[in-house]
Amino acid sequence: MILFGFIFFPLLYIIVGFFPFPLKWKKVLALLTVGGNLVNAVNLIYKISHVGMIKVSPGSWPAPFGITLVADRMSAFLLLITAIVAVSIVLFSLQSVDRPRLERGYFQFLFGIIIGVNGSFIAGDLFNLYVWFEVMLMASFILMSHGGEQPQLEGAIKYLILNLISSFFFVAGIGLLYGKMGTLNLADLSNKISQLGDAKVILNPSLVLIVVGFAIKGALFPFFFWLPASYHTPVPVVSALFAGLLTKVGIYSLIRFYTLILYHNSAFWNPWILGVGTVSMVIGVFTASSQFDFRKKLSFHIISQVGYVVIGLGFFTLSGLAGALFFLGHNMFAKTNTYLVAGWVHKRKGTLDLKNLGDVFKESPVWSVLFIISAFSLAGLPPLSGFIGKYSLIKSGIEAHHLFISLVALFVGIFTLFSMLKIWIEVFWKPVKEGVKSFTIAGDERLMVTASGILALMSVLMGIFGVPIIDYCTEAAADLLSPEKYIRFVLNV
Amino acid sequence: MNNIVLRTIVNLISRLLLYLSIYLLWRGHNAPGGGFIGGIIAAIGFVFYAIIYGPGKTRERIKLPPMYYIGGGLFFSALSTVISVFTGRQPLTGLWIDIPLPVIEDIHLGTPFLFDMGVYLVVFGMITAIIINIMEVLRWN
Repeated sequence: MILFGFIFFPLLYIIVGFFPFPLKWKKVLALLTVGGNLVNAVNLIYKISHVGMIKVSPGSWPAPFGITLVADRMSAFLLLITAIVAVSIVLFSLQSVDRPRLERGYFQFLFGIIIGVNGSFIAGDLFNLYVWFEVMLMASFILMSHGGEQPQLEGAIKYLILNLISSFFFVAGIGLLYGKMGTLNLADLSNKISQLGDAKVILNPSLVLIVVGFAIKGALFPFFFWLPASYHTPVPVVSALFAGLLTKVGIYSLIRFYTLILYHNSAFWNPWILGVGTVSMVIGVFTASSQFDFRKKLSFHIISQVGYVVIGLGFFTLSGLAGALFFLGHNMFAKTNTYLVAGWVHKRKGTLDLKNLGDVFKESPVWSVLFIISAFSLAGLPPLSGFIGKYSLIKSGIEAHHLFISLVALFVGIFTLFSMLKIWIEVFWKPVKEGVKSFTIAGDERLMVTASGILALMSVLMGIFGVPIIDYCTEAAADLLSPEKYIRFVLNV
Repeated sequence: MNNIVLRTIVNLISRLLLYLSIYLLWRGHNAPGGGFIGGIIAAIGFVFYAIIYGPGKTRERIKLPPMYYIGGGLFFSALSTVISVFTGRQPLTGLWIDIPLPVIEDIHLGTPFLFDMGVYLVVFGMITAIIINIMEVLRWN
């Protein structure tokens, strides 16, 4: 029943949002909904740490026939992080999003995205996963164009078309796979593929289509172009939400799919995964350092950070997967927070062009500290969460004899630091250029500070309590590395 | 479109389609039909009505704003998923009751019907909302 709550709570808000209650009530209700979601997630992770896995079969249909919702340690971890990010996004939205947008169903679409993300994390069926992707895509497309400013529509069209292509690849792959295997339940698929023997090769075309679908969603190397073209256009808090959650769902799906299906043919897949991850890291960080827009710079960094997670998956060792999972979680906090700070700068200064910004540190030391915590966490400085994530990834890479990739990862870390310092200097330190009109839009910001503070605090806490969290991630990785457990649990055999 | 023949026919057809859609919704569980198709057919009647009479009159005719239909429909569907939870079963499990009737067939009612009814309302509200809004932007009639 807990799992069902992840879909049901946000759905309740969406239903209520259709009726004309006063905006104040809707705001309170939105907060209550994310609060409920958070309580649910904490409850889930508490249970999971005792039981290991939980499943629900809607309609009482048993596993290979009906759709199953399954949560293991990895799902529970990501659901908790999503819930925390959602709380801070809603808090930030309350003060930063303008009234007309709030009145036109902003929160409904936000909860649409949260349903989609939650659903993807607990989907135990490939087609069900596709459906959650679509829920997420529709809600995110509307949020991206919500308000209808011209750059927004431009970004939204690029976003929609490229994501529809990804959905097309994904669903085509699903169709082919179903034709060959006769099932789409992930556990059942994994079970049947393991009995195929050498005939596995016939599955490769459909698997390639599905992986390309995930790679477009997750903004991996050859397919990342839609992300920087669209993420800087919507309302800042919306791009924070997207940066924090959407690409991570693609990567989660890749991890799930690799550990259940692709690993059967790892001689073919492993080099691809490693290569794509490495190139994503490098390309992302290089293109980021040539950008002069706050949010564009951060968008390119998403690609590079996602690459780290994928190389962790490519190492395919216990510590590699644990590091990848930790890094995924850390990145959701840190990335969202840097975007939130960008949102605040945008609200205060009306621009995000690095050349026209400056002197923000003098104006607000609090926000500067919040930014630098997350930025340094992204760059991987101790004692913040990014350090632990990168350390465990690189260490596991060296242990798995992938020296070159580990060196590249270190090198990319330095460039990330360089990029973050550049933002820090341009936005917060340097004096405003002469001739550039500087203005300040004042307003109440307490909720915004709280929202950003929560995320920054999480970055620090994940760094300080790194050991227990890594332990938890290692247990999750152990579950991922022995899929028999998952299969037995889902199929009840 | 101020033509008395058209007006009368459309008035008639929109009613007819509404009844047909309710019939389709009712037989939907095991036979062709169901909430989605029913909702579309019901909405088609009102789309015809809107083409002839204009969006303002259509709004009057469907009584409530289209958004309420969508919200109500979602509510019914969500309700049907949780009813089974309250009886200790998995969510979305179908629960059925038989209502014996003397002359005609027994009525076989269940939560899937409630779900279908929700789909019907959502589809109906969605299509009318889109059509009415587009017509208002275009200043139809």
